[in-house]
Parts: sequence; C-alpha cells; structure tokens
Amino acid sequence: MLYINCPHCGMRSQNEFSYGGDASVKRPSLNKEVSDQEWDNFVYNRKSLRGKHLELWQHISGCRQWIKVERDTSTHEIFRTFKADEEVAK
Amino acid sequence: MSLISALANVHITGQFGDHEGKNENDLLKVSEIKNLLIVQIAQYKNSSVSFESIDIDGLKIKNEPLTVTSNQNTRIMWSGPKNWLLVSSKRDLKKNILDKFKDTDFAVTDLSHSRAIIEIEGKETIEVLKKGCPFNFNTLKKNNSINSTYNGIALIVDKIDEEPNKVRLFTLRSFGESLYHSITDASLEFGYRSL
Repeated sequence: MLYINCPHCGMRSQNEFSYGGDASVKRPSLNKEVSDQEWDNFVYNRKSLRGKHLELWQHISGCRQWIKVERDTSTHEIFRTFKADEEVAK
Repeated sequence: MSLISALANVHITGQFGDHEGKNENDLLKVSEIKNLLIVQIAQYKNSSVSFESIDIDGLKIKNEPLTVTSNQNTRIMWSGPKNWLLVSSKRDLKKNILDKFKDTDFAVTDLSHSRAIIEIEGKETIEVLKKGCPFNFNTLKKNNSINSTYNGIALIVDKIDEEPNKVRLFTLRSFGESLYHSITDASLEFGYRSL
C-alpha cells in the first residue's frame, strides 16, 4: 500500500485517495486555433512512462482537495507532493 | 424539532461479545448521539474575508489540519482548507452562524438530518478503529479530528477525550447502519456495552 503525504492533511493511506491522471497535461490556451492533433493530445493521448511521473490525485476521503504527486511508476516511490495550484520546479 | 434516529433499526442496548467475567466499567461503551446541530461551513475560493475574528459560541475557527476548537456544547472540526464542520448541542446556534458567516463569502449548510453519529468510549477504542481505518492513530491526540474511511465507508473521527479514549464517528446517514455493524462487529472481541 502507498502512503501519500497530503500537503493539507499529512501522511495518509492511498485508500483515501483517488487517482486523477497525468498532471503535466496542459489545456490548449483559450481563443487560440487548435488543431485536431493538439486536441487529441490534450484529451486522449498519454505517455506511459517508466520512472518519475507527475500525477494528479484527489484526497477524496479526506480534505477532498486535488494534489500533485511526483511518483516513480516502476518502484512506486513518492518523491514530493504539492498543492494543485503550486508550480512544480523540475 | 427533534430528529428521527438514524440507527433506530439497529441500535439495541445491552452487553455483547466477550463481556462475561469482565468489569462492566472496563467494557467499551457504544452509543448513538442524537439531536445535535451539525453545520458545514465553507469559505468560497474567491473570498478573501478574514474568518479568524468570527466568534461562534465563544469559539474561533482555525484553518489548521486536524484541529478541533471546542467548549462543553460545541465543537468545530477542520475538515479541509477553509472548510469546517460545527457540531453543537445548542440547536439555536444556527441563526447566530447564519448571521456571522455572510452568504457572499461562506456556504453554510445544515447537515443535522443527514449524519449518523456513533460514540465509542473505552480503553480499546483505538483498537476498534484500527481494524477498519488506515489512519495512524498514534498521531491522533485529544481534540483532533480526521476525515478517513472505515471498511470503505467515509467517516469523520473526532477524538473527544483520552484515558479513556472517547471518539465520535460521523458518517452519511445512509451509511450509518453499515458503519454501526462494522464498529460493533469489531468491538465483539473486546466485549461492549451498548447504551
């Protein structure tokens, strides 16, 4: 079982969280011409990375906030967690 | 207005489980708490008004994780950033809350009818909670509260007292009976007195 350090509540079990997908996907900016390929990339196409990955999780049975989690997809090691509106320095 | 008990169909008084030969005072006590005012207070994201100075029944709300501010009648639990659950035996407090938390900045919702509350008291209280809840209860002190799950049922644990431990569990009313079954089942091993 994973333990995730919620930036709001502290260390909690993965059972309290819900996975929300890739946190590095950026929505195409508003009022900009968007090609079908760009829109497909935003909505559907995802990389299946092995290694460090920035993910969205929601603390659904806790504070109900969305957070960002930096996790290794092969070892499941969690390096850092951030509030959803925090910018992540690489 | 008095409330219809959420656990009326399942809560039976008596002694259950491994209680024989044990001192009655050492047994776990499981009871249903009724007729409390339960109000959820949430500050809107775009609101910037200060809430530190707002006083409800002599209590100030704090935006600190796990924190419960309390007096004899009222407890205000932190349940998320700028989100609190107020529980009080003073049912007339609602008007005061609505006056102080302006609807331009706060969402105030009366949840009195939509929660089931179970109170557990006794030495083995934390052992019962550990059986179904993934939280590390060694870190939960008196006047702390957490949102978590018990056998998959979302609940709020409010630690009212230590030595002996006393907690209140809040869950959605419709999950109340399931939670009650889970809690009493976990308590059988220690023996419990249902009040």
